[in-house]
Amino acid sequence: MAKLSLMFENKLVKEVPIGNRPVTIGRSPDNDLPVDNLAVSNYHARVYYEAGRLVVEDLDSLNGTFVNDLRVERATLHDGDSIWIGKHHIKVDATADAAIPWDTGRKTAAPKINETMVLDTKARRDMLQQAAAMGERSQFAAGRVKVATLVILSGRVDGKEYPLTNKLTVIGKSPMATVRLKGWFKPKMAAQINQRDDGYYLGTGDKVPSVNGNPISGTVRLNDGDLIEICGVRMNFIFRE
Amino acid sequence: MQIVSSGLSDVGRVRTNNEDSHRIVESLGLFILSDGMGGEAHGEVASAMAVDLITKYCESEKEDSGVTVLEAAPENWSSQTRRLRNAVRQANYLIYQAAQKNPEQRGMGATVTTAWLKDSLLSIAHVGDSRAYLLRSGNLQQLTNDHSLVAEQVRRGLITPQQAEESEMQSVLLRALGAHPEVEIDVDEVEIYPRDVLLLCSDGLTRMITEPEIAGTLQAETVPSAAAEKLITLANESGGVDNITVIVARFEDDASKGWFSWMRRGSAKKD
Repeated sequence: MAKLSLMFENKLVKEVPIGNRPVTIGRSPDNDLPVDNLAVSNYHARVYYEAGRLVVEDLDSLNGTFVNDLRVERATLHDGDSIWIGKHHIKVDATADAAIPWDTGRKTAAPKINETMVLDTKARRDMLQQAAAMGERSQFAAGRVKVATLVILSGRVDGKEYPLTNKLTVIGKSPMATVRLKGWFKPKMAAQINQRDDGYYLGTGDKVPSVNGNPISGTVRLNDGDLIEICGVRMNFIFRE
Repeated sequence: MQIVSSGLSDVGRVRTNNEDSHRIVESLGLFILSDGMGGEAHGEVASAMAVDLITKYCESEKEDSGVTVLEAAPENWSSQTRRLRNAVRQANYLIYQAAQKNPEQRGMGATVTTAWLKDSLLSIAHVGDSRAYLLRSGNLQQLTNDHSLVAEQVRRGLITPQQAEESEMQSVLLRALGAHPEVEIDVDEVEIYPRDVLLLCSDGLTRMITEPEIAGTLQAETVPSAAAEKLITLANESGGVDNITVIVARFEDDASKGWFSWMRRGSAKKD
């Protein structure tokens, strides 16, 4: 079993095995590895297994947790690493069989339909694997990732092509707009494109855009190759592979 | 950006206790909504903890320190967004710890959907099946993905949205605060424009009424407190099978811009 050895000036202070509960480190005596030093926060850091890897996580300590020489918020640990906390250090011995199955040990009662429940790690993994296997058989895992893109044809904007990677895309004069319109009297938010589970939707802002020559009302779902016009800017909506 | 907001919670028509919690700190631009679970195992304890812990973390003066080594967090996130994520992460750990320590609280957990506005940037952190929506120029856009089994199955194309709505598995979550010492948190940033309306809600709203009904209500009732009340009334009229909690926040240009923005708003309506 992997273990942690708390050292102070090369003297062994305490040794703990790493099981399936996190090992906690801090000044408070109820930690698994109590470190009696004012530079150490009450609950300073913890070490646990995650997906077969040994991970150290700083618990927002004042003076930080260091792995070898690097200050970390979270880091994967390897055999022989040293975790430095104040003037103490903790030697990591991960030679023994590393991956102790990580399980909360909680028995999930038979699900009542109306009561919210969380799948435990194993059930979730099984479900996702099953879903992935099924997904591979469906058209979703065709291996091609299509990125919706706006290609500018004419008009004054700050770029030529815009991949639509966010849920919300704004066309307007605002400095934060995705497609930034240039020139006087352009609205901050002229129009918007929303990404939903089933596609991309163009909606009005302070102006009404046209799609393929027709002004829209409400929102319209965009199709590959649509021509969008707004505030004197013409652009194509396409899917790039 | 000026904020007018209102939060309201209702036990619904079927349940006897309300496991939802919510908090608005308007001076910070902070909005938190959490839906507890675990029934007798203190779902309301978990949701109240989530709301309290996140509020305290965000209110504290302390700056975040340290660097992220392992997590592939986009480096371009604002410090506020990272802080909100850390707040949720810490809340998860402390709820988990409480659930482990106190036998009667075993199995408690909570969703959390939280949004934090600074200047015009809205940071969002989210775990579970509560939702954040943005209404902009009449378009209602869901900003969060539900971490439920059925939503994941829809995203993977295994079942249709209609099948999901009829599924008996709707209450099965893939992620929640308090279930494990570590939780994957969805984080996003959204640029807010004047007249945008933010809605945070528990699934007691979205399982009862449709998105067009929500969009229509938010447009018709421009006063947030009236909109919140109306949404809860509609959910109860449709059955109210779960607790219903909503936070409605409306963002406006700073008044300091005075008559110019007012005039522009007037002219925008004409065309």
